[in-house]
Amino acid sequence: MSGRPTGARRPRLERRSRVAPWLLVAVPAVSVAAALAVGAVALRLIGLDPLTVYREMLRSGFTTWFGFTDTLSSATPLILTGLAAAVAFRFHLYNVGAEGQLYVGAIAASGVALALGPDVPQAAAVVAVILAGMAGGMLWIAVPALTRAWLGTSEIITTLLLNYVALYLMRYLIFGSASFWRDPTSTNFPQGLRIPAAAEFPQYGTTRIHLGLLVAVIAAVLVHVALTRTRVGYELRVYGDSPAAARYAGISVRRAVLVALLASGALAGLAGAGEIAGRARQLDPQGLALGLGYAGIIVAALARYNPLSVMLVAVLLGGIRNAGTALQSLPGARVPIAISTMLEGALLLFTLGGELFVRYRLRTGRSPQPAAGPAEASAGAPAPGVPASPAEPPPASAPGPAPASRSEQP
Amino acid sequence: MGAAAGPAISARGIVKVFPGVVANAGVDLDVRRGEVHALLGENGAGKSTLASVLVGLYQPDAGEVRVDGAPVRLRSPRDGLAHGIGMVHQHFRLVDRFTVAENVALGDHRQPLLLSADRVRRAVAELGDRYGLPIDPAARIADLSVGEQQRVEIVKTLYRGVEVLLLDEPTAVLTPQEAESLFATLRAMAADGKAVVFISHKLGEVLRVADRVTVMRDGHVVGAVAAAGTTVHELARMMVGRDVDLSPRRAESPPGGPVLTLEAVDLEGSDGRRRLHGVTLDVRAGEIVGVAGVAGNGQRELAEVVAGLSAPTGGRVVVGGRDVTGRPPGAVRAAGLAYVPEDRLGTGLAPGLSIADNLQLTKRRPFFLDRRAATADARAVIDGFSIKATGPDAATRGLSGGNVQKVLLARELEAGPSVLVVASPTRGLDVGAIAFVRDLLDRRRRDGCGVLLISEDLDEVRALSDRILVLYEGAIVLERAGEAADLTELGLAMAGAGAAAAAGGARP
Repeated sequence: MSGRPTGARRPRLERRSRVAPWLLVAVPAVSVAAALAVGAVALRLIGLDPLTVYREMLRSGFTTWFGFTDTLSSATPLILTGLAAAVAFRFHLYNVGAEGQLYVGAIAASGVALALGPDVPQAAAVVAVILAGMAGGMLWIAVPALTRAWLGTSEIITTLLLNYVALYLMRYLIFGSASFWRDPTSTNFPQGLRIPAAAEFPQYGTTRIHLGLLVAVIAAVLVHVALTRTRVGYELRVYGDSPAAARYAGISVRRAVLVALLASGALAGLAGAGEIAGRARQLDPQGLALGLGYAGIIVAALARYNPLSVMLVAVLLGGIRNAGTALQSLPGARVPIAISTMLEGALLLFTLGGELFVRYRLRTGRSPQPAAGPAEASAGAPAPGVPASPAEPPPASAPGPAPASRSEQP
Repeated sequence: MGAAAGPAISARGIVKVFPGVVANAGVDLDVRRGEVHALLGENGAGKSTLASVLVGLYQPDAGEVRVDGAPVRLRSPRDGLAHGIGMVHQHFRLVDRFTVAENVALGDHRQPLLLSADRVRRAVAELGDRYGLPIDPAARIADLSVGEQQRVEIVKTLYRGVEVLLLDEPTAVLTPQEAESLFATLRAMAADGKAVVFISHKLGEVLRVADRVTVMRDGHVVGAVAAAGTTVHELARMMVGRDVDLSPRRAESPPGGPVLTLEAVDLEGSDGRRRLHGVTLDVRAGEIVGVAGVAGNGQRELAEVVAGLSAPTGGRVVVGGRDVTGRPPGAVRAAGLAYVPEDRLGTGLAPGLSIADNLQLTKRRPFFLDRRAATADARAVIDGFSIKATGPDAATRGLSGGNVQKVLLARELEAGPSVLVVASPTRGLDVGAIAFVRDLLDRRRRDGCGVLLISEDLDEVRALSDRILVLYEGAIVLERAGEAADLTELGLAMAGAGAAAAAGGARP
């Protein structure tokens, strides 16, 4: 950066010719730090000491045994919804309906558990519940997937709107009707029928960690292997990178869209099954509507749509979510639970903003020294990487967050 | 027309650096009034970058632009226009749904709030008369041919009172006749005292139109010469830095039996428009059949029908004796066909995937991929074709144009096809890579492969083809033997005047 400072210019973005590996780690780390900084400002404004709050978050979420196992339990559905978002978003298929698919997965899983009754062997019941959850999620994404593949409808809109349908369906089953799922004996407040013990996911010791965590980890590994080592994953990667190349290679674009979206729905539905069999043990419209599906998008974005990183990020986010509840009970401090929601939102914004800085660099002065050597970057002039004219800068959404982060770090 | 002696526009020590590339490394250029000045160089030599600096699209990292001897700082193309500098880009900047007059008036701040369509129309017609740019001011851009759209771009700059006009590879989209009439226009403009900068990598046309030639290589100016005192060979040597042999090559032995046959192939687009009409052709073993035509006359559709990417609505496609009409790409490939599409990075290759992944794109894939074999494959290809890349895991996006084409050709030739369909195989490549690709196609021909070469670049078609077909509006309107093909006749056929060409062959 030994550019001569001739004349101040407005900052502009230039595409990086090559993305250094360290950036892939550093940028998300900075994004997280920036989100925490924003949270600190908010905490300060309501008269709390950010350091104390963050220390307490760290303690309650990660550094005590009880807190950490609770975090893992909270991370379990987030891994699965994170995977759901990752397998779709990575290929530019924006399934924002994991929330609804999770609900329908939960409805299907609890329905099957109830239908099987208490006399089925546990292994069979658990497998049935898992499969039912996945089937439910797939069912819920089937229409968006099919219309996207055949009619080219926007999956963003269809999956998003179906979330509300799923939510009200779930509420109707418990609050609005004497359905199969509703507990007829609960007289004061309507609630779901408890599923038979045989269908419950076993828990480990006295912790709240349940079989779902193992299922989620296996799912993450399977998704990773499928994407990197199998024909199906290869075809998806080609499709995601360039639909025209997929068509050229004789890869069915429709099938690719269907596979990615159905897998996404199945993973979200699986998360719903895990919530039923591992935590709620009944169809619980209030307790399930935690925004786990939406949070999965944040997880996937932070993990750069990598199935293995999804696991780590889910644990991070699970801890933050748990801490929100724990902080409420912090004596005398009265930390609002909204702090974790706010941190989540800040995380998403900074991550998405950060993405831009992985691909582009911010330039204010003159050009840096040329990277000596490669002059053979021909192919129609070296220009196209750079925003072609001042009139059309790259994605307008992004430059916002970055300057903010600077001004808000006191 | 003030200072007639000094240059109308000059560049002094222009430096422009892009990440990883020095596009201009201290470039000087002088363009006088009344001359057509050619800026000659290979792709990536820095011509377009220099032009962009001259019109204010890019700001130079060092050096200055002078207009009539006075240094100016051009912060935007609007600044450029204010100094009388305009440019016609390779990709036109026109609004399809607007009329010619509306496009000409667009963005002109001298216009009153209420547009006087009449005045603009009169001005357009007048400029058209003066410089030989016949154009209907009331026509919609979408209804115009590419050549006509280019005229609109030129009129647009003239309307703004441009004194220095830069044209970036203006002939790439034109038939030979259209190119001739463009040259006439440019000479008329020069005669009128304007300065014209003509950017090109085609030696022949540079000598035809320019008064002086500035040659660029690797971001430097390697020389500026008078067109009258130089030759194609000298310019080629300056441009490439060494001697290259790009002389035409033909088959040395008579061709064998047909390996690809199309019988009365029709194709209708999804909008019901006819894209191909009764196309009948065959390609025999050991010959190269060239298909020439102006862009958008069905070349792409022809290639896709042959490769199995779209099913013809009528007729038959036979590859290696097997009827593959309407069969998927995999089946056509199994019959012995390989296809190198024009859009290499994006269709032929997935730009974000690695070289190793891309080399598997058209191969049979087992359910579990053999990544070790794929990596070994990629290593062998990188060595065998001397591809410049960091390794098998390098994304194809980061490769230069020549190396991209090598990866693509390596994959498509590996299966040992009996028919090879190649679309514009040397487009956008530098001279060294062009020679490599031509050599490769020529060698395949000698090995008995039948090649269907589809290209908008007539020079490319003429350099290799044993037979040349001309595609116009989806139909084959002319067939000639490669060495006998007459440029005028081909050009007229490409413009849709096949019958006239056969009758008289008169130049327009």
